[in-house]
Amino acid sequence: MKKRVIALLLVAVMAMGMFAGCGKKEEKNFSDGGKVLNIYAWNEEFKGFFEKYYASKIPSDVKVNWIINVSDNGLYQQKLDDALAAQANASADDKVDIFLAEADFITKYADSNATVDVKALGVTDFSNMYNYTVQAASDSKGVVKGVSFQCCPSALIYRRSIAKDVLGTDDPAKVQEALNSWSKFESVAATAKEKGYYMTASFASTFRVFSNNCTSAWVNGNKELVFDKAINDWIAQTDMFVEKQYTLKDGIWDDPTTDQMYKDGKTFCFFGPAWYFNFSMTKAQDAEKGCSGDWAICQGPQAHFWGGTWILGAAGTDNATLVADIMNAFTNDKDIVSKLVENEGQYPNNKAVAATYAADDTKGAVAFLGGQNATAVFAAMTDNIKWENHTKYDQLLNEGLQNKLQEFYKGSVSKEKAMENFKTYIKETYPEIVVK
Amino acid sequence: MEKPAKTKKKHGVSYAKWGYIFILPFFITYFIWSFVPQVLTFGYSFFKMYRSGLDQIGPEWNGIQNYVELFTTKLDGIPTVVKYAGNTMIMWIAGAIPQFLIALLLAVWFTSFRLNIKGQGFFKTVIYMPNLIMASAFSMLIWTVFSVTGPVHSLFVNSNLITEEFDFFFNKVSARSIVAGINFLMWFGNTTIVLMAGIMGIDQSLVEAAMIDGASSIKVFFKITLPLLMPILTYAVITSLIGGINMYDVPFILSKGYGTPDNTTMTLIMNVQQKLSTAKNYGSAGALSVLIFFFSAALSLVVFKFFVPHDSLKNMKKGGK
Amino acid sequence: MANTQRIERADYLSKKGRVMLMISRIFVYLILFFLAFLCLFFFYLLIVNSTRSHAQLNEGFSLIPRGNFLKNLKSAWTDGTVNIPRGMLNSFIIAISSSVLATYFSALTAFGIHCYDFRFKKAAFTFILAIMMIPSQISVVGFIKMCNTFGLTNNYLPLILPSIASPVVFFYMKQYMESILPLEIVEAARVDGASEFYTFNRIVIPIMMPAIAVQMIFSFVASWNNFFLPGMLIDKPERKTVPIMIAALRSADYKKFDMGEIYMLILLSIIPVVIVYIFISKFIIKGVAAGSVKG
Repeated sequence: MKKRVIALLLVAVMAMGMFAGCGKKEEKNFSDGGKVLNIYAWNEEFKGFFEKYYASKIPSDVKVNWIINVSDNGLYQQKLDDALAAQANASADDKVDIFLAEADFITKYADSNATVDVKALGVTDFSNMYNYTVQAASDSKGVVKGVSFQCCPSALIYRRSIAKDVLGTDDPAKVQEALNSWSKFESVAATAKEKGYYMTASFASTFRVFSNNCTSAWVNGNKELVFDKAINDWIAQTDMFVEKQYTLKDGIWDDPTTDQMYKDGKTFCFFGPAWYFNFSMTKAQDAEKGCSGDWAICQGPQAHFWGGTWILGAAGTDNATLVADIMNAFTNDKDIVSKLVENEGQYPNNKAVAATYAADDTKGAVAFLGGQNATAVFAAMTDNIKWENHTKYDQLLNEGLQNKLQEFYKGSVSKEKAMENFKTYIKETYPEIVVK
Repeated sequence: MEKPAKTKKKHGVSYAKWGYIFILPFFITYFIWSFVPQVLTFGYSFFKMYRSGLDQIGPEWNGIQNYVELFTTKLDGIPTVVKYAGNTMIMWIAGAIPQFLIALLLAVWFTSFRLNIKGQGFFKTVIYMPNLIMASAFSMLIWTVFSVTGPVHSLFVNSNLITEEFDFFFNKVSARSIVAGINFLMWFGNTTIVLMAGIMGIDQSLVEAAMIDGASSIKVFFKITLPLLMPILTYAVITSLIGGINMYDVPFILSKGYGTPDNTTMTLIMNVQQKLSTAKNYGSAGALSVLIFFFSAALSLVVFKFFVPHDSLKNMKKGGK
Repeated sequence: MANTQRIERADYLSKKGRVMLMISRIFVYLILFFLAFLCLFFFYLLIVNSTRSHAQLNEGFSLIPRGNFLKNLKSAWTDGTVNIPRGMLNSFIIAISSSVLATYFSALTAFGIHCYDFRFKKAAFTFILAIMMIPSQISVVGFIKMCNTFGLTNNYLPLILPSIASPVVFFYMKQYMESILPLEIVEAARVDGASEFYTFNRIVIPIMMPAIAVQMIFSFVASWNNFFLPGMLIDKPERKTVPIMIAALRSADYKKFDMGEIYMLILLSIIPVVIVYIFISKFIIKGVAAGSVKG
């Protein structure tokens, strides 16, 4: 009797839980006339731009409500996912209208029913946006779900003085010529080593360059884990770089790596976009110990990007026109986009605006790069960037591979064990991926 | 030694209802806030239930498949759960042994009239202070101390203990020791306070009488203080054990969630979190939680058994003297 | 106090005893100072770090304070994204309410089980011990789902009320009563005609004061430092707690990211807890004085 009561109770409770979990139906995609514009973000960056450059255009009867949750412990995505799951039944004032996504996890949202076709909302002109930013926000059928207010082409950032020592020149065109393929990159690394330099400061420095240029996805149609040739090439090159001491064994943000940015650093190059050398190479910019001006950029072996934030429209938004207007403002409104470049140090997702800065060496000159016009370099390489073969699993697959391989480079485990640990990590993280 | 007699019906009045009344708020609160989520956890463990991106997979009846998978996913030839349980226990014990030895010593010293320690207020405040810092902030500080660019590394290099770069976070022994060390440092003050309050609750006339009879302080400790402290010590050991099994944020932050090196600092709850955070794998995480529950219940039972001669449960059965 | 003197007299009988006492005192102080050093070292490091600018922190570990304390204090206190005074008030309200509820009701529950005979007494005790062992990490997710369903987000009730059922605090109270609470006192109160509630509030609570103070500190600290649950339930800026604010500074975008400000906020967040600790620990001593009446 007692047992039966418990069993019944369990069934009842389970049923409750299932109702909470399901309840998904095809909802009407968007509407207008909402009085509250809900925007989900993980920090205040976009809020700052929004308030400076757009807030005055908001209709007076619409209230903007920012829901900012940090990305620590997956908090941001967890709360966003819950809100999107509840979207159909949420009251008008609680519906998510806009949310932000990073390159690392945009596919999860763009390739889902939780986002809305921005063309239907009223964003129709993509001619000035960089192709990869549009591809990134598209679902598997090619429907565009969002736009990016930043473009993050990533360059090879080299020390001019070391380039002179190793290559005999610090001229960006000649340096690019010497480094335009991986085999050249490797032979320069060997020369640099002979002269007492490291080629890169972290084993993970070149990872994004390879992974952005994969010819197949991490996970295939049968949900099987696949090692692309580019990934295998990265592993092989990094094994060799670590063994021959062309690079260091720490992560890109760790102190041993970033210490190499000081004047007494011995590293030939780093990889990164404008935001990286503007805001994250603070050690190189240090007034006493840094070496501002001793840097320059070129494309390097392969075009790639790093980071960026996309604005996505949530399915079920009740402020469709306003959402589209915001998206247009931060991509197609030349006034606002120019202000993002001049006041906020952004590289714009607008080819026309970028071209005006690229053409103007006085406006485009960057003191940190010894007066080089960075926009011109980025503008030339941005069209070569691809967004192909991405999956919703990429973020943890990429990070997991790097972290597990680092244990091999640090001498904790053998190469085979590191790969086995990586596969186990994937098995325990993603139940649906088949790992052989 | 006096033992409390049980309250019996007196003057024909039953006090039993007061027992129910007094425990009612606890049970009402528990059933409102915790019961449903906990039963759901148990239930989920029999379902295939996770998210693939934003899409919900399941729930779909899965029998004991989640449990089977926990034991068939292996590392180094042993099931990962067993490995993680081992890691958790090793790091807990390595921190708990010094924690209890020091805490017992300090509690006795602080309460000793004979030693009459000056500046007690200062010491009591200071030893508890590590517990006041958030584990995440503490781990940040520890990181700066033990990193390859930190002071400990250069100390080792300068004294020729190591000749080339040695990353403490990438060596099994040192990584686990750091986790255990942080746990020790964060919790020994806490345990000291618990034991001290317990010792201060002991009727001092007993200690005094023994002292006058010429018993040494060591004898007094083992024959009088320790037996009377047993209920509190049992509490301290059990809660430390439960805290140990729930160990999560320190190893998580120090290893970025990867259990570096070679999954040797991966704890059970880190694994639960790994299953929950991305794929919302309630099925597998639920099964693991059920296992963790039985694991801690079994270990707690062992602790109870170990303390059984002095255990309150036994006295309860006998109904006191 | 009379007790103390008598014990000391017993010890001061011989000269040898005095020398031994001297040696053990030196030993004890050495260990105490070593442990105090270990504990204070990290606070010193925290304070030093809060005096360094972001660029100075970039240089790595250092024990030398720098001159940016006031600058960091100003940027933390006036940060546009987090309202620290407000956050401290919020954290305080939650922590103090939940620690008072946790200790009072745990003592009440423990008293109910310790002092009364009723049919499900043993079952209730075993049940509470069992739920104490359920890992909190996983039921938290279901808990949050439930709060979302009932619209309890941005509400402090789910952060405060559940502490009425704190198995760990209960277990401590139960064990403490086991070792020090004589049931004769309760019986005597009954003979005097006191009601059961009066007995608990006026007689048992004072005796339990050391235990209550101890657990109050622990609950307060646990609640004060809790990040995950408040983080999941609260997103209105004016309702955020200190740990959420620290996390917000840590995930600031690369332009605003300032380690100096983060260390400062961590330091600031500790000060109220230290004050509460010093304040409550006085009750441990007071409580012992009250408790000793029984002897």
